Amino acid sequence: MNRVLSWRAVVVGLLVALLPALPFMSKFYLLLAFDALLFGAIAMSLDLLIGYTGLVSFGHAAFFGLGAYSTAILLERGVLSLWACLVAAVLVVGLYALVVSYFATARRGIYFALLTLIFAEVVYTFFRYTQTFGGSDGIQGVPAPRLMPAFAIDTPLRNYYVVLAYLALAYLVCRVLVASHFGKVLVAIRENEDRARFLGYNVQRYKMAVCLISALLTGIGGALYPGRSAFATPDLMLWTVSGEFIIMVMIGGLGTLAGPVIGGAFFVLLQEKVSSYVDWYFMVIGLVLIVIVLFMPRGLLGIRAMLGFKQWRATA
Amino acid sequence: MDYLVAVLLPQLLHGLVFGAALGLLALGLTVIFGLLGVMNFAHGELYMLGAYAGIAVVGVTHSFWTALIVAPLAVGAIGAVTEVTTLRPLYRREPLYGLILTFGLALVFREAVRQIWGGDMRRILPPVTGSTPLLGMVYPNYRLFLLAASSILLLAIWLFFTKTRAGILVRAAVQDAEMLDGLGVNVPRVFTLTFAGSAALAALAGLLLAPIFTVYPQMGVEMILLAFIVVILGGMGSMGGSVVAALVIGLAQSLLTLWMNPQRVAIAIFALMIVVLIVRPRGFFGREGVLE
Amino acid sequence: MKRLTWGFTVLVALAALVWAGAPAVSQPKVVKIGDLGSKVGVFEGYGKYQTWGVQMAVEELNAKGGVLGHKIEVVSEDDETKPAPAVRKAEKLILQDDVKLLVGAVSSGATLAVMDVTKKHKTIHWNSVSCAEFMRTTKFHKYYFSNQPDSRMQANGLAKYIVDKMGKKVYIFYTDYAMGQSDGRQFKTALEKLGGEVVGVAGAPLDTKDFSPWFGAINQSNPDVLFVAFAGTDSLRLMTQLHSFGMTKKYKMAGIDCFLLQQDLASIAEPMEGFVQLNHFSPYNPDANMQAYNARFKKKFGTDANIAAGSYDAVLFWAAAVEKAKSFDPDKVAEAHEGMCVDNTHIGRQCIRKEDHQVVMDMHLYQVKGGKNLPIARIAGSDSIGEAMVGKDPVEGFTWEIKKK
Repeated sequence: MNRVLSWRAVVVGLLVALLPALPFMSKFYLLLAFDALLFGAIAMSLDLLIGYTGLVSFGHAAFFGLGAYSTAILLERGVLSLWACLVAAVLVVGLYALVVSYFATARRGIYFALLTLIFAEVVYTFFRYTQTFGGSDGIQGVPAPRLMPAFAIDTPLRNYYVVLAYLALAYLVCRVLVASHFGKVLVAIRENEDRARFLGYNVQRYKMAVCLISALLTGIGGALYPGRSAFATPDLMLWTVSGEFIIMVMIGGLGTLAGPVIGGAFFVLLQEKVSSYVDWYFMVIGLVLIVIVLFMPRGLLGIRAMLGFKQWRATA
Repeated sequence: MDYLVAVLLPQLLHGLVFGAALGLLALGLTVIFGLLGVMNFAHGELYMLGAYAGIAVVGVTHSFWTALIVAPLAVGAIGAVTEVTTLRPLYRREPLYGLILTFGLALVFREAVRQIWGGDMRRILPPVTGSTPLLGMVYPNYRLFLLAASSILLLAIWLFFTKTRAGILVRAAVQDAEMLDGLGVNVPRVFTLTFAGSAALAALAGLLLAPIFTVYPQMGVEMILLAFIVVILGGMGSMGGSVVAALVIGLAQSLLTLWMNPQRVAIAIFALMIVVLIVRPRGFFGREGVLE
Repeated sequence: MKRLTWGFTVLVALAALVWAGAPAVSQPKVVKIGDLGSKVGVFEGYGKYQTWGVQMAVEELNAKGGVLGHKIEVVSEDDETKPAPAVRKAEKLILQDDVKLLVGAVSSGATLAVMDVTKKHKTIHWNSVSCAEFMRTTKFHKYYFSNQPDSRMQANGLAKYIVDKMGKKVYIFYTDYAMGQSDGRQFKTALEKLGGEVVGVAGAPLDTKDFSPWFGAINQSNPDVLFVAFAGTDSLRLMTQLHSFGMTKKYKMAGIDCFLLQQDLASIAEPMEGFVQLNHFSPYNPDANMQAYNARFKKKFGTDANIAAGSYDAVLFWAAAVEKAKSFDPDKVAEAHEGMCVDNTHIGRQCIRKEDHQVVMDMHLYQVKGGKNLPIARIAGSDSIGEAMVGKDPVEGFTWEIKKK
């Protein structure tokens, strides 16, 4: 095994693949696991931007939502092939991401965050009020997509393996990326943008490229969502959803790829479990955030350092 | 001419009232942004706390005017404690941490209020009642009072920042905190007091608007995005810019509603923002190069 | 790659935690029902009363020995008033808790999304609060039932009274999302059918802070009646602002049943004075059934009941259908529901229409006097329910355009 993919990653992957065999993995926990892995993967794609390049995107919910809408629109109109849905999502999200990243990467810091936020709000407002796409109700009750003409992804188990495959692929892409020269340039940009520029790198082009990759990975995740939930609604694109994505990255640990996957899964499970027991679960989430920011800036992965393990830096 | 008097002028007045109130909310936000480089997500919750603190005080003293003094002081104190305990440790870190922290604080404040006062919506009766015939309609006196009060407050704040030593210190801290530190000023104290002042201002806005906008735990989160837009348009860290931008947004919303669907109004405002951010990212009055 | 090992350890620990936190295997002879609604947020008032209605019905049924010899247990979940959490919670209730009945949700968007879950997993689904017109038409399925008058039913009942008694020129002001659009559309259709004139329509976005920019247009079109389709905090804010501009006195006001719930009226009594609302329940209705129900409700929860507490009937209907089917099998229970009547609902005898599973509800028009909803006219359910339109588009050919007379 090379340094991109260690045997440990493979073992973890296989173990997660065997998870459904555990006796307590009911249909419901499979669906919950779907959400956990899906949002974990999305948090990981966002980590490429925040953790490695130092760009805080506050508009990832739009990539997610656009992916979900492209699938839902096709499924609703009888195009059932998962592959067709994925291609459509890649085209739509790619085009939108191209425009957003072109304008947003021209600006630094908070302006990048705000431009992505405002662009996402425009997309949200568009779908919220366009009756062709269901307005505020969104598109509901779409049929399950098909992997092959005779193979519908219509059970929680099948959905689980689809999302697992997506997570594995996304993880590989991200790993290869951060281990490559490209990834090193991204970290250089994060550490000192001007220096990277003086070294002759076209900084904006690098930023646009990583934005595009992150957006596409998120969009593909969105495209898988209607297969599990049967709907796409404007709420998926609310700016608070983008905020949740950032929170997932922070909980897991910036610039670690694996951390945000855990952060996303943790966030989904926390919300699900706590909200069943108490009606003040937003306070729990708020307190978790505050504790993490103040005492565990490395996120959940930082626990290792506290336990005396070797510290690890996000240098790729 | 009839159209002007019967339709346009009332609409302008509506926009002015809303814009002035929005300006109060955005002002504290922009000062904190200039000072700490943090977009304070909890600002909307401080605004909400102001309204609830007002309800508590009115409940005891039955006087809106007392509440108008006590509630901002109370929320200012909460702001000071928050700054010292949670934000101060973060000053040397990346702004992202501050952003996420305030996101968490917002959740905690909102939920705390819901647990204390319940989630039901509440009203505060306006202390100024009745209405005045104006431009062919009856205009509520409280709205006129609100316009006057916000104008006086904005003027007072402007005087504070330009004429008093404390105000000039804050502005200096916004410009260059390290320099100030070098001059022997107790910068952490300036930060704490400024944060408390910004919280008090948000609380004041919350209480002043409560008789018109009603009170409930989510009232802040619904205002904060609009306040962000104002701060960006005005130029982050620019106080005058925020006030101008708030009036522009108030007037634009009110006037565009005459001719457009609400969704087109929303998209028009976002489009304006995108153009501003691309062409002139420092906003109307922001200084060049700030955090770019 | 040590972090991955750790990551996995954390994941496994979490999974174990989740598993340990999962409710123990249910005791024999217990049947669970799910209550899904907004418990946090701007519609939590509606969700709270829905939960109380369900709890009261369950307590009364259990006192009589439960249903089919099973003790009933309620599992309540919050849907955050959004479709995505609503679906996840509905799945949790059905797949994890194995509920045999699901009551919910509060917002139309969430209810529509949940309908796909109950259809897929064959679970009896009662809707007692949300009122979009698609539930008993295009989205209808075998396991879905409703005892909330939807917008079409409400519009039919209200429009007739407005044209006859209040005035023919009406301005429609609605909140621009599913619920308001649906109410505005159905009301416009019903009013125009009865010969009323819509002099203007306008939609304001959800969570509008300041409604005053719309007031000029309303004043200019000079209506007799101002019809408002809003809910929750929007309603409160709108009425406060209309009142301060003197418009609540200038126009006759009318609105939908969820505009403001009874317990909110006390704080806004003056602006709401004279407001006409269509409801199936009011604690101030002298009707013996309603009074008896409200007395029990007040004794238990210390406050008057309201329309959202109609969820009480949903549980009664379901329990009666289970007894009739002698089984919890969803297909048998659904069939037993059809055409069934129950005598002791909170508003007296009610029946479920076989065709679209809508309860044929007798309603009253209420006028607010001193913060109380007092009945002024009775509308028979059969007059307002309209034809069954399963599978048909209830808004086909609709346009917001105003026909000038």
